[in-house]
Amino acid sequence: MLAAVIITGICLVSVFISYLAFSKGFTKNADDYFTAGSSLGYFILIFSLLASFLSAFSMFGMAGFGYRLGFGSLYVLTANLVPLGFLWYYMHKKTFLLGRARKWMSMGAPFGERYGTPMKIILVLVVLVSSIPYLVAQIQGIGVMLETMTEGLISYHVGLFFVPLFIALYLMMGGMKGAAWVNAAQGVFFSIMVFVLFFFVMMKNGGFAATMDQVLVKHPNLFQLGWSGGKVWSYPMIFGMASAMCLGCVCFPQPYMHAYASRSVRGLKAMFLSFGGICLVVITLPTIIGIAGTLIVPGLKGVEADKIFGLVASATMPDWLAALAVSGGFTAAMSTVNGLVFGNATNISVDIIKTLRPQTKPMDLIFLARIWVALIMAVCVVIAWDPKTPVAELSVIAFGTVAVTFFALWGAYYWKRATAVGAILSTVVGVSMNIAFFVAGGKNMVLFPQASLFQLNGFLASFILAGLVFFVGSFLTSPGKTEEKSLGFFFHPVLSK
Amino acid sequence: MASNASKRKNAVFLFVFLVLTVLCWSPVGYGSYGEVGLIMSMPSWAFILLLIGAVLFVIEWGFLFFSDLALYDEDLEPIMNELLKTIEQETIKEVN
Repeated sequence: MLAAVIITGICLVSVFISYLAFSKGFTKNADDYFTAGSSLGYFILIFSLLASFLSAFSMFGMAGFGYRLGFGSLYVLTANLVPLGFLWYYMHKKTFLLGRARKWMSMGAPFGERYGTPMKIILVLVVLVSSIPYLVAQIQGIGVMLETMTEGLISYHVGLFFVPLFIALYLMMGGMKGAAWVNAAQGVFFSIMVFVLFFFVMMKNGGFAATMDQVLVKHPNLFQLGWSGGKVWSYPMIFGMASAMCLGCVCFPQPYMHAYASRSVRGLKAMFLSFGGICLVVITLPTIIGIAGTLIVPGLKGVEADKIFGLVASATMPDWLAALAVSGGFTAAMSTVNGLVFGNATNISVDIIKTLRPQTKPMDLIFLARIWVALIMAVCVVIAWDPKTPVAELSVIAFGTVAVTFFALWGAYYWKRATAVGAILSTVVGVSMNIAFFVAGGKNMVLFPQASLFQLNGFLASFILAGLVFFVGSFLTSPGKTEEKSLGFFFHPVLSK
Repeated sequence: MASNASKRKNAVFLFVFLVLTVLCWSPVGYGSYGEVGLIMSMPSWAFILLLIGAVLFVIEWGFLFFSDLALYDEDLEPIMNELLKTIEQETIKEVN
């Protein structure tokens, strides 16, 4: 009961913060609603971007991953994300500069201007399709944890509606500014709570060193690479997952939306740099909490392991503190749903509806974006109804799928010879390959190295093929009028620094 | 001359980023299959991974905030002016 009260309280506070943005008039026009009028300072930017990515995956999923697969999980969402400080800056410096000059509001805008309308629409659809597994992972994580925390008082299926309803409400109200404020507050909250939980879990068995010594004796595999006959945490598996997560982060809507919303260059750089550094610390902790969880709650398998975060909190902390700690994970999931749903709703409204019906008024766009927020949430709840794949695996699949748009983005900003045909073909082939691998061999084919793919996993095979198609397709075709026209702006000499 | 020095510096940073990124994405050179020694109660490769991540973070910090290679707020206004001028010229061309 206490847990339910605390979570409801957090949801209500989130709605209130978003209401503040709404009541202060920060959603009066489309620019305000979609990009917060490019007014966000660096503290809000840092924690909003962090919270919009850190999710049920980084808290519940990584604890579950650590529990099942051990220290190798550190390659999935900690140090492997530090390169984003440079990668994001390199890839999205032009998103920030050109976006500000052109007043871009959605991630399809650079693609549309560089490659034309078909690429813009394909990109929006690809990002939407890729986002669904990740959103489902969040909603699934919320449902599982709500059931665990309330000891069945709120069932998994009721939990699927409970939090998403609040999220839809505050997203529809507060727009980008409201979302960023809520994200930032939630980001600070869950960063603090994960430290508190880590402390309690380690103290349960006499401190960090004593806990790890006991895990090593009971589960030596968790400390090894290449276990289970060389299958788990083999070099190809590590490289496939680490690169999928990092490259996927470049291609999801959140960095675009935050680049448009940034007030200053300093804020933009601070946001990009801080993300990897904070992940290095904040996500390492739930992973190790999961590993230590093998001593406290042994025997969980598959999807059940996603509950370990909540179970160790209940086993090591007073009830009220456990509820707060798990609520930290909750807020992480909420803010990710928040960021991703908002990004996709913006893409659909601005890149598809506005393109197909240019006469649509800005206020109608905002209304349609709100409708899309509700629709996307509803679809995710339906898919999450019968959970089969653990949160962590769902998330890696999503990141791997969206990562195939990396080449089209790079080509838009840094390769004059890139053509619309190359970009479209590479995106379509990459996504189709990912879907085909998933249909043919399930999640294992996408995530784990396959002998039939030269020891690559499905993601890496799709990614490499998408790259090849992009370069070959661009070389074999000539740039059209749109590509030629875009060069003066995208490759303006003033952008060379 | 100055431009050449910048290019060299850029290349050095790029090379360092590339090497450290590969190390953050795979345990090449510091991790092996099977049992390994511990550092601070963690597998040695896990500790080294976190250390490499921390080193890369510091280098990125230097690149973004203390090198003359990155963009700064004082660059923003002239860049925006140039870009807006280009947009204006394009619009005029389209209208004509």
